[in-house]
Parts: sequence; structure tokens; C-alpha cells
Amino acid sequence: MKFAEFIVSPILAFIIGVFLMGLSRRIMARIHRRYGPPLMQPVIDMIKLFSQKTISHGPIFDAGVILSLAGTIVLVLFIPFGGMCPLRTSGGLLVILYIMLFAPLGLALSGGEGANPNISIGISRKFILSLGYEVPFILIMLSVMTYYHTISAVDVVKAQSAFHWAIFSVPLFLPGLAYILIIPAMLGIRPFDLASAPQEISSGPMAEYGGKYLALAEIEHAFAIFITIGLFVDMFLGGSSNVFYFFLKVLVVFVIGLLINAVFPRFRTEQAVKFLWKWPSVMALAGLIIVLAI
Amino acid sequence: MNDMVDLLKSIFKGTDARTLGENRLSVTTPGESVLAVLDYLKASGFYQLKSISCVDWIDDNEFELVYHVASLERPLHIMVKTRIDRDKPVFPTAMSIFKNAGIFEREMHELFGVMFEGNPDLNPLFLDNWKDIPPFRKDFDMRKYVKDTYDSIPSFEEYKWQKEN
Amino acid sequence: MDRNNLIKWLKEPKKMGNKYSLWAVYFSTACGVIEVPPVLTSRWDAERFGVIPVATPRQANLFLITGYVTTKTLKAIIRTYEQMAEPKYTIGFGSCPINGGMYWDSYNTIKHLDKFIPVDGWIAGCMPRPEAIFIGVTKLWGMIDKGLATGYIRYREHYDYYRGNQERLFGSMEWPPLYSLKEGTHDE
Repeated sequence: MKFAEFIVSPILAFIIGVFLMGLSRRIMARIHRRYGPPLMQPVIDMIKLFSQKTISHGPIFDAGVILSLAGTIVLVLFIPFGGMCPLRTSGGLLVILYIMLFAPLGLALSGGEGANPNISIGISRKFILSLGYEVPFILIMLSVMTYYHTISAVDVVKAQSAFHWAIFSVPLFLPGLAYILIIPAMLGIRPFDLASAPQEISSGPMAEYGGKYLALAEIEHAFAIFITIGLFVDMFLGGSSNVFYFFLKVLVVFVIGLLINAVFPRFRTEQAVKFLWKWPSVMALAGLIIVLAI
Repeated sequence: MNDMVDLLKSIFKGTDARTLGENRLSVTTPGESVLAVLDYLKASGFYQLKSISCVDWIDDNEFELVYHVASLERPLHIMVKTRIDRDKPVFPTAMSIFKNAGIFEREMHELFGVMFEGNPDLNPLFLDNWKDIPPFRKDFDMRKYVKDTYDSIPSFEEYKWQKEN
Repeated sequence: MDRNNLIKWLKEPKKMGNKYSLWAVYFSTACGVIEVPPVLTSRWDAERFGVIPVATPRQANLFLITGYVTTKTLKAIIRTYEQMAEPKYTIGFGSCPINGGMYWDSYNTIKHLDKFIPVDGWIAGCMPRPEAIFIGVTKLWGMIDKGLATGYIRYREHYDYYRGNQERLFGSMEWPPLYSLKEGTHDE
């Protein structure tokens, strides 16, 4: 049973992530008053990308993509959902904080081998952006861990059972709100898609990716969607011991976020960092102070 | 407008100025006083060089350079024209008066082969691997050039047929 | 449209994937590009057929050449085409790439695009309506289905012909050949 979790949980996470990717394109299209692609379009794209003949730029170019994907898949094993959490005893939220840096690091490694100036610009933007959202993210994590006196994600979920959801408790309301604000920055989508801006720097770190590399990057993105929103559901919406309810919670958060983000234009780099260090950071800090005071 | 005509005629010798309809003025001047005319026009408020164009008078064996100068304060468009020898088309650059003359002169050098002395950058702007005479000259045979350059390249079907036989 | 035909997907996933996920390179050669934004955005919405614009040639597999091609543009087109991942498809859009169009005797516009890179299909017109792009894409689907859209294989197998024509036009080229120039040799 324990070993089955190692296989089942990434597969479920992948399915949910890909579904959300397809859904996001569909909802975006409806907001633009278009018909939109079918829900399976990301799968079609991945099949096509895997069937293409691809050009490698060297061993580090390959290794970086794989490192980024592997880091993200490992991260899934730390997320408790549907009663599953394969790595429940090893480190919890603190390790999640560390491993979250793997994905941009892997991209940076392989981008360096790509030798395209757009990649360098994209990577530097990505790191500046992650500098922006890591500050509020750490503050949010700290307030959650202090409030529940644990670093284990499973225990955080357990403490919120029977609808004692953290987002409805007074001290953790502000950190929860701050987390919602930084979700698009963590995913690199609409208002914060400055790292992969296709119109400015021809999709930045992805500029030299084609075929299989791009497919791996898409899979990584699917996992990242699941992790970022799943973590929010676990920390603030009480998680769930049922996969379906967990999925419903993820879906609601995702769609609400999408409706807000679909209508916003792109931030510039300094605007993004200014925003992230202002509102989410102040909210998270206020939450932390309240938690410490109680 | 008429004051401009009289002024230009009196200041510069050998200069002929006349009005062309409403708000347009044509100034024909010998080659050596073109820069002086441009300098004078700039000093009197015509600080915008709109374009430099060139006309190929092949029967007279001459090129005619036309400087289009305008002002944002007066509704007046002045064309300063001069003729230069077609066999030896060399002319001093106007970059010291209008800085944007550089790019127009570059284009005229490319399309007509007029050499502008003092212009630091006369590299080709549009053409690539050009071997013929400049393409806007009247004696340039466009049809023949297109035939030689583009039509002489065999199509894929011709290539395949040649290969099989 | 057989996009929901599961049996076909299981039988030949490669072909079906290429059919319904055409990513067009966002490279605009000339005036025809004014017809492309309405196709991609709300008015005609090409995304419902899986056609989306991408920013780099590495990610693309559909190349729309929109309008007349000057010698300098041709250089960029060849470089873009050679960077795209196989299988790749090219559509000449408008009458200018077909036979020169109104630039039939221009000194700086190449007349027949298919002498320099392989073209899978043409959309005639000056300019074609956005609907014509959909008809072109639908025809391309049929060609992929029957295995007729083999421009990239032609480019590989007859690279000496294409490279020879390119060198004849440009004189010297500042990038190395993509494939081996020996006749008949190609790596599969």
C-alpha cells in the first residue's frame, strides 16, 4: 500500500494538472469570447511534441530539464491529498520550501547551455520574480507552522479537520489571502508571465526548447499547477481525505484565480517585485505577528 | 511665400525660385550653393529635412538631387533641386546641417549610385549581394535582371527531370 | 474532423498529434500578416483547431509565409525553417510567394518561394480572406493524413538542390549546411 502511493499520487497529480491546463485554455477562450480548444488539447500537444525530432544543445541542456521535472515530481510526494502522502515523515513544509527552487534552477542550468540571449533575460527575470514571491511565501509558511506548532503537512491537514479551515480562522486569514495573491507569480501565469513573455523575449527560458524538451516543460508545468494550488488547499482549506473533494477544492481555487488573472495585463519586472513585496508580504507579516501574539 | 522667393533669388546667385501651387516652393540652384541654401533655410526656421530624392535625367546625362525641407511653423514645403553630372555622381553630404540626411543619402547611394562625400556609412540598406548597376537608374534593365537572377534558377520539377535524363 | 476518433488515435498517434496541434511560428514576412491576427484572436479563433502562435521556431511546426519575399527576408525564412523541429509544414500565403504576384518583375523580390525551401501548400489570393487560412489548414490535415505533406523529407533528400539555389542567390552563406550535401545520403 505504501509503495503504491509513490506511483498513484504523481499519476493523479499529473491527470489533475493536465485537466486544469486544458480547462484554463478553455476558460480563457470563453473570457475572450472564443470557442476555445478541446479539453484534451494539452495531451494532443504533448503527443505531438514527443513525436518530434529534437535538437539537443549538450548534456547539461538535457540534464537541466530532467532536474527541473524530477524536482517537481518529488515535490508531489510531499503534498498530502486524498489520504495519500508518500513522504509524510520526512521534513514536511520545510523541505517543500527548499525543493520548490529546483524547477527554476534546472531551467537556468539548461538555459545556460542554450546560448540564446533571450534565455538569459528570461532566467534573470525568473529569479528576480522568485526572489519576489519567496519572501511572502516563507512568511506564510512560518505563520502556518507557528500556528499549528508543526512542520508536517499531514499534521496541518489533520488539525483543520471538521471544517476548522485555516482561512476562516482569524490569525491565518491574512496569510491565506497573501497566498492567493502570489499563486500566479509561482506559476508564472498571466500578470506575472514576465519570465516567459512570448511577445517580448520570445518565451524566455523556453526559447531553445522544442519537441521533447518542451513536452517535459509542459509536464513540469502541469505538476507545478497541482502543487501550488494543492499546497494552498492543504494549508488553508483543510485538504481532504477524498481525492474527489480535494480535486473540487483545487478546481474552485484555480477557476477563481483564473477569472481574476485572465483580465490583467503583464507586469514589468520591477512592478511585479514591488507588488509582491508590498501587498502579500505585508499581509503575511501581519498574519505572522498576529499568530505570534496569540 | 513670395517674400521667400525674392529673398532666395537676391541672396544666392544663379538661383531660380518659383512657386508651385499652394504652399509649395521649388528652388533650383547650382551644386556649389546647395549647402548654403539649406543652411540659410534651416536658420530661417525650416529645420525639418523630410527626404532626399533623386531623378535620373538620362537624356541630359544628369542626376537631379531634390532636398525636401519643411517647417512646422510655416505651412510651406520647399524643394531644393540641383543637377549633378551622371558619369561622375559625387556630391558633398548634408549631414553637417541636417543629421538625418545620412540615412537618405545611404538610400540614394544604394539605389542610384550617387557618392556622398563625408558620409561615414554608405553600406547597402535593402539590397543583398548586388552585382549589377544600381537598380533605380533608367538604363537598368529590370526584366533582364529578373530573368537572369530569379528565372534562371531551375524549379524542382526541372531539376528532377534533368536528374533523371 | 476526426479529432475525437479514439481508434485512429490509438492506431497512429504521431500523425494525429501533428494534425491537431499545429503551432505556427510568429514570423511575419510581409503585408499578409495583417490577416493573421484576426485568425488567431476572437473573431475567427484558430485555437479551436489547435493552431496557436508560438514565439520561437524551435517550438513551431507550421510556417505561414505571408506575402512577398525579398532576398533579405528569404535569409531569415531559411534560417527559421531550418531551426524548426521535424515534422514541419510550410504554407505559402498570398500570390506573391507563388509566382511573384504584383512583384513579378521586381529587382529585389524572389518570385518562386518553392525554389529555395519546400512548400507543402499554397493559399492563393491577394490577400486571401482569413477563412482561406482555415481551408488551407483543413487541406493540410488531409495531406498529413494521406502522407503527402512531405516537404521536410524533400528538403532533406534534395538538400543539394535547395542549398545550391540558395547559394546561387546569396553568393556566400554565413551558416553551415543543415544536412550532408552529398547526393542521396540522409540520416533517418
